[in-house]
Amino acid sequence: MIPPIVMDLIKIKKLIISLSIFLAIVLAGLIGPIVYPVNPVVMTGPIEQPPSSKYPLGTDRWGRDVLAQLLHGIRNSLSIGLTAAAISLAIGVTIGVVSGFKGGITENSLMLLTDVVYALPSILLMMLIAAYLEERNPFLVSIVIGVTSWPWVARAVRSQILSLKTREFIDMSRMAGLGDLRIMFEDLLPNMASYIFMAFVLLMSGAMIAEAGLSMIGLGVTRGISLGIILYWAQLLEAVRRALWWWFIPPGVCLVALATSLLLLSTALDEYFSPRLRGE
Amino acid sequence: MVILEVENLTKIYVVGLLRKKEILAVNNISFRVSEKEFISLVGESGSGKTTTARMILRLLKPTSGSIRFQGRDVWSLKKMEDLKWYWRQVHGIFQDPFASYNPLYRIDRVLNQVFNLIGDIGADRESLIREALKEVGLRPDEVLGRYPHELSGGQRQRIMVARCYLLKPRLILADEPVSMIDASTRAGVLNLFSRLRDEYGTSVIFITHDLGLAYYVSDRIMIMYRGEIVEEGSPEEVMENPQHPYTRKLREDVPLLYRKWSGF
Amino acid sequence: MTLLEAEHVKAYYSIRNSYVKAVDDVSLSVDRGAILGLAGESGCGKSTLVNTLMMNIRPPLRLIDGTIVLDGIKISEMSRSKLKKDVWGILVSIVPQSALNALMPTKKIVDFVKDIFHYHTDMSRAEIVSMVRKRFEELNLSPEILHLYPHELSGGMKQRVVIAISTLLNPKLLIVDEPTSALDVSTQKQVIKLLVDLHRAKIIESMVFVTHDLAILRQIADKIAIMYAGKIVEVASTDDILYTPLHPYTRGLVNAVMTPESEVRKRGITFIAGEPPNLLNPPSGCRFHPRCPYAKPICKEVEPPIIEVRDDRIVACHLVESFM
Repeated sequence: MIPPIVMDLIKIKKLIISLSIFLAIVLAGLIGPIVYPVNPVVMTGPIEQPPSSKYPLGTDRWGRDVLAQLLHGIRNSLSIGLTAAAISLAIGVTIGVVSGFKGGITENSLMLLTDVVYALPSILLMMLIAAYLEERNPFLVSIVIGVTSWPWVARAVRSQILSLKTREFIDMSRMAGLGDLRIMFEDLLPNMASYIFMAFVLLMSGAMIAEAGLSMIGLGVTRGISLGIILYWAQLLEAVRRALWWWFIPPGVCLVALATSLLLLSTALDEYFSPRLRGE
Repeated sequence: MVILEVENLTKIYVVGLLRKKEILAVNNISFRVSEKEFISLVGESGSGKTTTARMILRLLKPTSGSIRFQGRDVWSLKKMEDLKWYWRQVHGIFQDPFASYNPLYRIDRVLNQVFNLIGDIGADRESLIREALKEVGLRPDEVLGRYPHELSGGQRQRIMVARCYLLKPRLILADEPVSMIDASTRAGVLNLFSRLRDEYGTSVIFITHDLGLAYYVSDRIMIMYRGEIVEEGSPEEVMENPQHPYTRKLREDVPLLYRKWSGF
Repeated sequence: MTLLEAEHVKAYYSIRNSYVKAVDDVSLSVDRGAILGLAGESGCGKSTLVNTLMMNIRPPLRLIDGTIVLDGIKISEMSRSKLKKDVWGILVSIVPQSALNALMPTKKIVDFVKDIFHYHTDMSRAEIVSMVRKRFEELNLSPEILHLYPHELSGGMKQRVVIAISTLLNPKLLIVDEPTSALDVSTQKQVIKLLVDLHRAKIIESMVFVTHDLAILRQIADKIAIMYAGKIVEVASTDDILYTPLHPYTRGLVNAVMTPESEVRKRGITFIAGEPPNLLNPPSGCRFHPRCPYAKPICKEVEPPIIEVRDDRIVACHLVESFM
């Protein structure tokens, strides 16, 4: 039996389109490196070769296979996106829920912290870190993006909590002697599940863009490959001016497709959930 | 015997971010509730009656004033143990039967929650719940296991009354508890409050804008207007000899069955 | 003289091969110049009946049988597009139960009015606005209201605005469905005053007022029809319904009314036991028999005929003789 929610979701065209684009790229990132087992960071052929049967997407300045780089890049970009989004979500939701629910001085200080982080660009933090660390692995980049991109989540979650808090079912639970934690986990968070999921999707799309942004200015990962790193080298070596299109178009398209499919997914979900929230 | 004493209770809401504005929702009200007493707090929406109820239920902190239940200051209760004791004795029904249910859970939840206050009583919970539902005129099989949106407003209000019936508190604050129940069957649900009074000595504060309901169920009516209690007395006194202009207007505007409005 | 004449109307909701008999063989007429009250418990089919009376029928609701004649026109045979063009808003208007939410939150009242009437008439937008202003003044509603957003109006004001807009084209018949149930008594009275004013000023000729509150019908209705489980069980003048109800259900309704007055206190308050039946599978015979304190074996077996006990007074009860 297929649950009715799935049947309803299938009917939304936007959702199907965005989900299939996203999943197709994810699949490429997951299975790609297995079916196309070429090492992306070693020289495998002549330099700056256009696509051919031997090198489906050509090679770069050091003779590295661009397709192999792309497949591994997708994988790393996704994992950076996922990790960073998970970190942001955890921080943002915790701060949002606690400040919205507790109120008073707790709320004020947490919101102050939120505003401070909001004003602090991840680039600045990354520059500071770059100054001290010679090597930056994907996990470090995820953490930096993660700990700098949660403020909007905290604010949004807090305002959701503030409105949910006035609903009388919270008082019904309170009068039944449920403690704060149980009310949070039984009454508040489940009612925000759809919202939190959408936030996650948006965070992930934002984190992948942020990773590319950091990489493009040379503050990205120093070891390994990502979509941003491919673009960084392509840009550095003037691939655009020299019309080496195979070098920058595939990663660019992948990045844009990943980010926009996630954005589209979140708007599709929004359309699906909002009338329900209003109607019931 | 007095069980609840409300003294100089005041609630001021502060609204606005930059230009703060104070709204005086409840202005220095005092009253007492005795055991087995039915009181109606009558007023239009925005008169502060719901705010008063929420403060007594220990859900909204008063700006000033005190609320004492059985001699204990309600707002100095802090430990969960004490709070559970309080809500076991003093319980509420809210006016919006739609917002009173978490839409994600079956309605059974609000009934099962009662046992969190009562503790383990050894009896069969399921049969207690079924009995309470029958008391409020519902067929248990038609409502148990359902989600709130599958039930009508009247059914949801009845379930809220059933929750109080299960709990049998000393004092119930009932905010428009029968507004969505058909007039034809309303008296049946109201009788249940009387039974709680007779069998368990329960007192009730009805919060309503329905003067008719107040007239029939209460021992005493308090008229609330713009945050203040402007008139107080027995139902006969209030209806037959209203003193405050607002009460007079209210009485004139209530549609009666055997008298027409003047000018109609 | 009748303005609306409905005969043997059956309107069912078809749901999964079965029917919810929301309106089951109802005959009802509305006299010219009269205000008819329609009362009954929630779920008895009142709203479905009044929507059927103006042919506002959309699937899953279907008109199974019966004729409806409004102002000499057989509207039960008209197409939806023709009804839209020639009947609704012009001959008959309805203020629906959820009217308070009927206004688009992002549109000012005036834009809302412009939009609907531009569709209905050939008037220019400026003409519509000046007409609306004039009507608002006539009804003691400030024309300033037109330039507000719906959320800036109180519940009672919104309801009055919706009523004023629904009657802009002077429909002969106005149907109001529970217009006051969510309002405070003083606001309630203002809304009812507006309806009475519309009627007195002959802007509308007749009205059908749907409510579960008999005390409100007492104030304005000439006649009251009592509905139970998809059937009309009694129609009589307001006084007859209140002082000498004949159908046991009517009596139950009247005796359950809780108005603060000495007559009612003397009489005492009773309630009707049980719940209204599910219209998917209504009881046999008289639909009220499971809840009726007087029920006899015949009530369970035979559906009671509609008896005209007097001119203008009908009852559907086997035992009516014994109550007279």
